[in-house]
This record gives sequence, structure tokens and C-alpha cells, in this order.
Amino acid sequence: MNVKKLNLKIVFTLFLALFLVALAVNTGIAEEHAEETVAAEVTGDAEGSAEEAVEEESVPYVEDEYRNFFGIDGRLIVWIISQLHLMFAAFVLAVPLFVVIIEAIGAKTNNLQFDNLAREFTKLLSTAFATTAALGGLLSFALYGLYPGFMRYMTGVFHPYMYVYALCFFGEVFFLYAYYYSWDLLKTGPGKWLHVFLGVMLNVFGTTLMMLANSWATFMMAPSGIDMKTGAVLDRSAAFFNFLWMPVNIHRIIANVAFGGFVVGAYAAVKFMGAKTEEDRAHYDWMGYIGNFIGLAAFIPLPFAGYYLGREIYSASPVMGNIMMGGAFSWTFIIQAILIGMLFVGGNYYLWNGLGRIKGSERYTPYVKYINIVIFFCFAVWLTPHNLPLSGEERALIGEQYHPFSKFFGVMAAKNAVVNLLILATFFSFLLYKRANKGETMPFKSHGNAARITMIITVGLTIMYLLWYSMGLKGQDLNEAIRPYINPLLTCIKIQIAAIIAALFLTFSNRGKLAQTLLFVVTVSISVIYFWYYGFVLMEKANMVLRFLSVTQVSIVISTLIVNTVIDVFLFKNAKEVGGIQWGKIPNRAQYALLLLCVAIVTLMGLMGFIRSGLRMNWHIYGFMQDKSPGAFTPSIAYMGWVVSLIVFLFLAMVAIVFWLATLGDKKKKHA
Amino acid sequence: MAKKKNSYSMMMVVVSVLIVFAIIKVIAPYVFMILLAKDHTMPTPSTLLLWYMVLAISASLVYVSTSDLKWANFLSFILPAGNDKLKLLFQKMLVISIPLLVGWFVYSGTVPGTASPVELRIQHPTLLQEFEKMENPFANADEATKRRCIEEGKHLYQQNCRPCHGSKADGNGPFANAFRLRPINFTDPGTIATVVEAFAFWRIKEGGPGLPATSTPWDSAMPAWKDVLTDTQIWKIIMGEYATAGVQARQREEMEHE
Repeated sequence: MNVKKLNLKIVFTLFLALFLVALAVNTGIAEEHAEETVAAEVTGDAEGSAEEAVEEESVPYVEDEYRNFFGIDGRLIVWIISQLHLMFAAFVLAVPLFVVIIEAIGAKTNNLQFDNLAREFTKLLSTAFATTAALGGLLSFALYGLYPGFMRYMTGVFHPYMYVYALCFFGEVFFLYAYYYSWDLLKTGPGKWLHVFLGVMLNVFGTTLMMLANSWATFMMAPSGIDMKTGAVLDRSAAFFNFLWMPVNIHRIIANVAFGGFVVGAYAAVKFMGAKTEEDRAHYDWMGYIGNFIGLAAFIPLPFAGYYLGREIYSASPVMGNIMMGGAFSWTFIIQAILIGMLFVGGNYYLWNGLGRIKGSERYTPYVKYINIVIFFCFAVWLTPHNLPLSGEERALIGEQYHPFSKFFGVMAAKNAVVNLLILATFFSFLLYKRANKGETMPFKSHGNAARITMIITVGLTIMYLLWYSMGLKGQDLNEAIRPYINPLLTCIKIQIAAIIAALFLTFSNRGKLAQTLLFVVTVSISVIYFWYYGFVLMEKANMVLRFLSVTQVSIVISTLIVNTVIDVFLFKNAKEVGGIQWGKIPNRAQYALLLLCVAIVTLMGLMGFIRSGLRMNWHIYGFMQDKSPGAFTPSIAYMGWVVSLIVFLFLAMVAIVFWLATLGDKKKKHA
Repeated sequence: MAKKKNSYSMMMVVVSVLIVFAIIKVIAPYVFMILLAKDHTMPTPSTLLLWYMVLAISASLVYVSTSDLKWANFLSFILPAGNDKLKLLFQKMLVISIPLLVGWFVYSGTVPGTASPVELRIQHPTLLQEFEKMENPFANADEATKRRCIEEGKHLYQQNCRPCHGSKADGNGPFANAFRLRPINFTDPGTIATVVEAFAFWRIKEGGPGLPATSTPWDSAMPAWKDVLTDTQIWKIIMGEYATAGVQARQREEMEHE
């Protein structure tokens, strides 16, 4: 019976895969058909020349600029392969980042549980690595085969770096396998730290590898170091260290960690739901929790990194910026908003359900409804577009182009305010989760001088950063009419600094919770409520200052996140436990939330990959080399939706197979 | 006793969703009318209503499933009511209202109507490459020249643009009511303040006919001014227009000045 069901599932999956492939490829073939007609006309001419060629008995070699993939457009093929490669690469690069941290925690605290978890993650890594490399190879062949002209130029510019890339690849392979296979060998004592070092080196090579490849992609968006008319290479290192390189590096590293966290979270969820023993359930519940924790922790700073990247894209080209946020790609950002909202909701939902396995959490569950309202309110504002889809009748009834909802919710000032509130609310959920198990706290003095010094250093560094930023603000070269609009920002930073200092003293006098509350209240008042209003003032009077407003907003929120985290650590250090966490006692609903998070982050990465690459529109290298292939159109949202769905489906299917292969050995061991 | 109280959570969800619906559909149009001092209500667009309601329902379902107890209480409403007459009444209402709701959706979705199609509007058409790097020739002129250009530009604006965009650049010109999509209100900081001057130059010069083939259909009655005005006049109009509207164009950032 089960076999029959399994067969049905396999048949259905194959059907779904074929269906999606057919849909995605359909447009490519349609395009190709048009091309064939043109090609036929060209061949007509070519036949004549071929006859002449026969007479001369030699055919001149013609260098192709573009080819297609067995009738399918090259752009579609490269799109799918590169996105799959990037997703696997994101996983392979992200997992070692947190595996090493988890292993180091295990080594420091002598906790074997952490060590085992790190090892389990690494096991997934080694099989995924081979797939990444295979996809990478396929991508190179596809690029060189389908876009020979373009790749000839790219190779001309970047060939020295390509050797470095290959070298780093060797480094990564060496350290990955050394790391994985020396786990038992280097189990104890200084050997363990040598093992951690191997892991760190694996990360160094992996990250360098990613940064090298990033440079080629960002060069295509914001070329530098070349003559924009002739293409002559003027400064190879300038081409490499191009303007968007660092913003993309930062954004990708953080996004990869979030991606890796949510993917392993989903792995744990599947394992949890299939677990036969209580022990396994407890283990995979914990693993899912760690996955979600890593995913959310990386996801919290991600909007800041995204904002930085977006702003730099505007700097590189205001037109590309407008295409992105207000032009052809603006609707894809509404889809992005929905996915981001889903990630915040899913992450919080998992935490709230997780409260059920902690005795003592009843004290905090009443807050859940308020956080829920805040999160969904923010979600609503976050996805409200500036340009609403309106029918003619609606437009007539409203009497103008913008409805007040879109006017007040649809612009950046509102979006920045709510995304900061979303982040603060999620952070608040985390704090509640962390303290659910904790009862009576110890006085701050009992933690000794180390705690005091840590607090002072944290507060000192945070304040120094805020002061450094406000000095920068003061020093801005702005004209006299605009300059006064900077002052409210400076005042808000001063208020935040005062609040941080007050929080420090409150913590010292054992009022840590009050200190945290104070910081939350001040930050929400400034960064969310006041800056929402002030954003509109600036939009009207001094839009030059808007960019400083966003950074001030982010700086204030981050300072609160940092200081409140450190306060929380000491507030609940050595606190009495109320009842302990019963790992494994979590409803399956929460596991489905983990699966949703995984699907949402994979879709998000697919979507954002499309946006980043598609922004160049019909350019290979923006402003220098045009894409003249027949497939060089900007896909419609529907077509993009099909292709991204196909990519998500293929990735999840491949990951499932890879993970299944990775755990095949375990089953044998257990049976033995 | 506590259990009995909680077993109404499904009704609470229904009531909360209805309250949200009432706020968005009924109250908001009046609130905006008062807040924005309009002489008519500001009805909530159907797309937005749909999105917000989906969110409201999701939020309720998320909340009632955050713990096993809450979820059980929520579902328990469909269990037999026993002696609880109020619960029985609510159950009946629920059972009747669900098919009615579905019926209403089906009816309103299929009934023949004459509404114009809803369009996915895009704020900024894709600026053509040849316009991207254009700079206002008066951008680096001395203050006196700039002031003179602004004054000339204001004059040209009133001559050529006022009929549609209004003397105050607020989109309220004498012809404004004749268009299905009203002329843009430049004083709204979400419009010309978000683009670089080169973008405004392209829109004036090429107008509606010059809009790109992507992201169609466009909905613009803006004429192309290239045959009427010289490039210099257009730049001056841009300066005058921003000054009249009291907003500033998006500034290019440092990197581009390098």
C-alpha cells in the first residue's frame, strides 16, 4: 500500500516538474520560433554564399555572438542554471559559517550536543558541495557556449582573477574535506581547536570564492576600469573592485546565512515529523529551533544590507534605481514585500508555538496578541504599493491618482518605519522566548567586574558609532536651505545616546528590564513614529536629507538591538530556571511554519536574483555592451513567476535528493 | 467556566475580521475625507481591501493557532452546543453565512458589469539610455543666471503647462478634469521629487508618444514638446516647475561626479 502511495507521489512529482518545465520553456520556444523565421531568411542568403564557398572548397570560420540551447533561448537556460548554482552555493557558503560557530560553542562549553549538531550540518554540506560544483561547471559551459562573444570580453577583462578563483576552489575543496573527515581524528584537546581552525579556513576560502564571482556580476551592473566606448581595459583592479561589489558582498553573505539557516530548519522539520522515537523528536526539534534562530538572526539585519545595496544602485545609476523601485521592476518588489512579510510572520509564529514547550512561558503569552497585531499591521503597510491598481471608476471616485492609503503607506518613509518596527517586534519575540524559562534573576553585581566592563564597552562602542555618524552628518556639504533639516536627526541621535546611558545605569542598579523597556520605547518613538512623520516633511522640503534619515533610523534601531541583547545576557545570567524546555513537545504546525520559511526564502532568493540581474534590462554590461540576442527582453511578471517557481521547485527537489543521499549511510548504521 | 468563555474564540475571530472590514470599507473613507478636508469620501480601492482582508484573516488564524490550547478552543466551536443557546445561535449563523458568503463571491465575480479593467500602473517608465547621463546645462551656472532661468522657466511653464498641471503645479489646471487620469500633481513629494532632472527632460520632450514599449499599456495624455520647445527652454521649464511646486529633483550621488 505504502509503495503504491509512494509511486503515485513520484509520478505526481514528475508530472509537476514536466508541467512547470513545459510552461517555462514555452515562451523561450515561442521566441525561438520567431528567430527561426529570421534565421531562415538569413540562411537563404547564406546558401548563395555557401555555393561560392564550395567552389573555393573552404568555408570561412564565423564567430558566433549568440547560440541557443537546442531551440531554447540561452537567457532562460543561463537564468535557471545560474540561479540553481547560486542557491546551492549560498547553502554551501552559509552552513560552514554557522557550523564553525556552533562547533566552537560546543568545544568551549564541552557540550557534545553542539558538536553533534555541527557535524550533522557538515554532513549535509559535503554532498551539497559536489552539486554546487557540478552546477558551477554547467553554468560556465552554458555561458561560454551560449554567449561566446560576451564571455570572450569578460574573460579578457577578468582572466587573472579566474585563476585565483580556481585556486580558491582548490583551497575550499581541501579544507572542506579536511574539516569533514578529521572530525573524529581531532576530537579533543588542542586538536579540537585545530579542527575549528580548519573550519575557519574553509570559510575564508569559501567567502573569497564568492567575492571573486560577485565582482563579475557587479561589474556587469556598474562597470568601471574600462573605456565605456571602446571597451579597452584601463584598470583591471578598478574593474574588479567596482562600485557595487562591496554592497553585494555584504548583502549576499548575510542573505546566505539566513538562507542556510532556514534550509536546515526545514530539513529538521521533515526529520522531526518523521521521527519515530522521543529522542529523535527532541533532537530535531532543537535542530529546527537552531535553524530558525540562525535564519531569523541573519534576517534581521538583512533589510539594512538590502537598503544599502539599493541606495548604492541608485548612486551607480539613478535610472537603474528608478527602474528598480518605481519602474518596470516595482511590482516585483511588492512580491518581495509579501515574501519578507511571510518570513517575519513565519519566524515569529514558530517562536510563539515554541513557547508551549517551555514551562513558565504563560507569563509572556499574553504579549503574543499585541506583537501579532503589530507585525500584521507592519506587513499591511509594507506591501501597500505607491501606485495602486485602480479601475477608472475607482479613480474617478477617489478624485485623484493616489489614494491616501497609498500616499501615506506606499512611500519609502512609511516602509522604512514599519520595517524597523517589524525588526524590533521580532527581536521582542526573541527576548520573550529567551526569558520564558527564566525565573528569579541575580543582582547585576553578582556577575562581577567582567559584566560591568562588557556593558561599558558595549555602550561605549555603540555611542561612539552614533557620535561618529552624527559628526559625519554635521560635516555634510549641503546648501544652506537644506542644512537645518539635518538638526532633528542630530537631536534624535542625542536622545538615543541619553537613553542608552540611562539604560546602562538602570542595568547597574538591577533595573535591567526597565532599561530594556526604556530603550524600546525611545527607539520606537523616534525611529518609527517620529521618523515616519519626518520622512514626509523631508520628501516635501528636502529630499536630499532622506538618505540620511534612513541611515539614522537604522543606526538607532541597531544600537537598541545591541545594547538590549547585552543587557539581556546579564539580566538572565545564572537566573533560576522555572521548568526547563521540553524539546520535542512542539506541534506539527510549527514544523510546517519551518517548511514555509524555507520555501519563502528560496523563492525570495529566486526573485531577488531575477531583479538584480534583470535590472540591466537589455545590457550585458550596463552602458557598454548591449545584449542583442533574441531573448533579451525583460520578462513579464507572469513569465518571471513561472520561471522562478520552476527554479524553486528544482532546487527543493535537488536538495531533498541530496539530503536523502547524505543520510543514507545513517540508516545502514542504525540497522547494523 | 474558563473553558466555556474561551470556546467563543471562533466567533471572536469572525467579529474581529468584520470590524477590520468595517474600518477599511466604511470608516476609512470618511476619516480621510475629514483629515484631508475633501468634499467627498475617499473609497478604499478594491485591490487594497482584498489584500488587507487576507492579512486580517491570516493574522486571526495565526493568533488562534499559536498554542495547542488556543487552537483546540478555536475548533471546539463547531462541536455540539449542548444547552448553550447562544452558541447554538452563533453556530447556525455561521453555517448559514458561509454558503451565503461563497454565493456572494461567485455572484459578484460573474455578474456582467461594465467596469473598466484594473491596471497595474508603473510609476516611472524606463528612461532611455541616451537621456540617462544628461545634465541640466544651467546646473553649474552662477546664482544670477540660475535665478534668471528659473524666472524664465516659470513664465514658460505658465504659458505651456498651466492648462493641465495648474498655476501652482498641483495638477489642478483648468483642463485637468477632462482627463481620465488627472495630470500629475508636482507638489506631491512622491512625483517629480523622486526623479532626476534628466527624467523630467525626457518626459517633457518625448511626452506620452515617446513612452517605451515595455510595461504597457501607458495611460498618458502628455504631448511631446520636442517640436514646440527648444532643449534650453525645456531645461528652464524644469527649473521653473520644481521652483513653482516647491520640491527638489533627486540629486545624483557623489560617485557620479567623480
